[in-house]
Amino acid sequence: MRDLTANRRTALRLLGGAAGALAAPYNIRPRPAWAQSNTLNITTYDKFLPAEFLDKFQKDTGIQVNIRLTDDQGKQYNLLAAEGANPSTDMVTVAGHRYTQFISSDLLAPLDTDKIKNWKNLNPAYQNAPWTRVNDKLWGLPILAGYEGLAINTSYVKDPQSWDVMFDPQYKGMTSYIVSDFMTIAMKYLGYDGDFVTYVDKREEAQKATNAARDFLIKHKDMVRKYYDAGSEVQQMFLNEDIYLAHSWSGPAAKLIAEGHPIRLSVPKEGTFGFCYTLNIVNHAPNAENAYKLLDAILASPEVGASMTRQSGFASTISGVPELLTDLERAANSLPQEQVERIVFFSSVNRDMKNEMIDKATAEVKAA
Amino acid sequence: MASIEAAQAELENGGPMPRYSTNISRIVNSRLYQLTLGAAVASRAGRLALLAAVPLLWLAFLHIGPIYQMAKISFLTSYPLQHGRPASYTLANYAIFFSESIYFMPLIRSFVFSLASTAITLIVVFPVAYYVAKIVRPDWRSKALLLLLVPFWAGELIRTFSVIMLLANRGALNFLLRDIGLIDRPIPMLYTSFSLGFGLIYLICLYMLLPLYSAIDKIPKHLLDAAADLGAGPFTRFRRIVLPLSRDGIVSGCSLVFLTCIGVFATPMLLGGPTNVMFPETISGFFHGASDKWPVGAAFALIMLVSALTTAGIFMRLVGGKATKLM
Repeated sequence: MRDLTANRRTALRLLGGAAGALAAPYNIRPRPAWAQSNTLNITTYDKFLPAEFLDKFQKDTGIQVNIRLTDDQGKQYNLLAAEGANPSTDMVTVAGHRYTQFISSDLLAPLDTDKIKNWKNLNPAYQNAPWTRVNDKLWGLPILAGYEGLAINTSYVKDPQSWDVMFDPQYKGMTSYIVSDFMTIAMKYLGYDGDFVTYVDKREEAQKATNAARDFLIKHKDMVRKYYDAGSEVQQMFLNEDIYLAHSWSGPAAKLIAEGHPIRLSVPKEGTFGFCYTLNIVNHAPNAENAYKLLDAILASPEVGASMTRQSGFASTISGVPELLTDLERAANSLPQEQVERIVFFSSVNRDMKNEMIDKATAEVKAA
Repeated sequence: MASIEAAQAELENGGPMPRYSTNISRIVNSRLYQLTLGAAVASRAGRLALLAAVPLLWLAFLHIGPIYQMAKISFLTSYPLQHGRPASYTLANYAIFFSESIYFMPLIRSFVFSLASTAITLIVVFPVAYYVAKIVRPDWRSKALLLLLVPFWAGELIRTFSVIMLLANRGALNFLLRDIGLIDRPIPMLYTSFSLGFGLIYLICLYMLLPLYSAIDKIPKHLLDAAADLGAGPFTRFRRIVLPLSRDGIVSGCSLVFLTCIGVFATPMLLGGPTNVMFPETISGFFHGASDKWPVGAAFALIMLVSALTTAGIFMRLVGGKATKLM
């Protein structure tokens, strides 16, 4: 092989090539939101915003929409907080019960409904729901609602009425759950307050309740096939028959039901928690006006809501959507009235204490 | 010298430029260039310094930079920093690891699993590397290596999902076993230590294969022939010749595999079960958990980095000795 001679030309060529390679990340990096004008950067969950809707919106308005996917509220919060006053996203997707965390960190801008002429198309139940307002201001457009349910493969499990079934030895190694979410259910199952609302200024009581749920889950660790994180994982495990039953967000399970798989979703007698996802405009978002155009377009037609429900499995908050769904799709998202009454929406009260204790207990369950 | 002065004088007078005839010539002959980059590339030492600057910058920004940032965050009381709140520093994030025993278990688990995976990978890959380096005809070696590399053209996640499709209850392996009548109910293989180990070794064996191949390929064939002529059996030839002379490959392969194994994140998340939670997953919990714990996660990441590098360093020193080469 010929030796490389470091003369002036080769040195300059190599230097130029290397400098170009080093500069490549600058050219392919996500552009900060402030650098654009006719774009809209959105951080949201997979399958929340339908592709055909986004295509039409871009065609109608000429606004380029860039989607960044997330699968966790905490990740979204941490990234937004790290970017501070120069956010790289204009919109985020915050669950209603996480509002206070985002608002107290000054990460969201209040919503001006006067700029959304189709606001009237939002289901009235969500227009003025108490949880949507913090400090007398509205902070987001509710788009999809769901709950934490008990999903079963009906070929192998028969109509359970209680969360007991998750700890039934005959299903050893056939259950799955998101540890942090199921911890709150386990607290409820054991008779404690899984949402920590009654534990304000009662740290010891809250810790005792959390520890009881933690120890209970560790004791029954052999029941679990896998701790999962994303809805797609629990769907995959049901399809592969690696699990027969799971604690699941309603969306992923409802989607399997709507596709005709032998899955049933219910709310056991001990109850569960509900939540609502909202689309929010980020504080200091330079493309806020484009964000308002998107919010208005979402509400313009119930077809958009129906499409969101079909894709995500969660129930739409837009009026007129149920009429557009098929019987199977409607069934996937409906519960008997007695089970609906067992759903308590997550509160934003005492979230800091809850987050701290549940996160630690989650790490302990996984580590055990 | 006189000609250079004449050329410079001609240049200053707007005359024809020597050697170059494009716009570049104006830049190359400009005073600014001559005093800066031109002066640097005029000498051999200057050219080498310029060339070294690029990899050094690369290392500084893309390798040391993130680690420095992580180390800095690990000493902060909170992160991300909020507007108007000054940064304050603490050692408490490190103290959490040493004061709460529950965090030892995932770290120990990661170490044991990584060491076991490294050992199994070595045992599995060594015969393959030997076969390609010494048994395959020389003109077929590059083709054989290429064949072995084909699966690695797909990304890590794609290969991990292929393992899921293979080992799931309704996966290819269970279907095969059922179709040939060996089982009537699926064997739960996925989300176990077996699936994790299988997936991990499949993902990382390349890091063992290439250093081993490189080392074994360099062993002179006449040494093996001479040993055979003198009556050494296959095991003796392996123990007395092949193994000692492939030591560099073993050390670098094991180090690469161990360090990759201990830091791998997605594979244990996708293939592991409830008893296979590894330390990287514990660390990630601090970064995307509901509460803000980046500094604790950063401290734990630093603890893992230091302990993994220390282990690999001790191994390289003990097994490889002072003269170990990485490739």
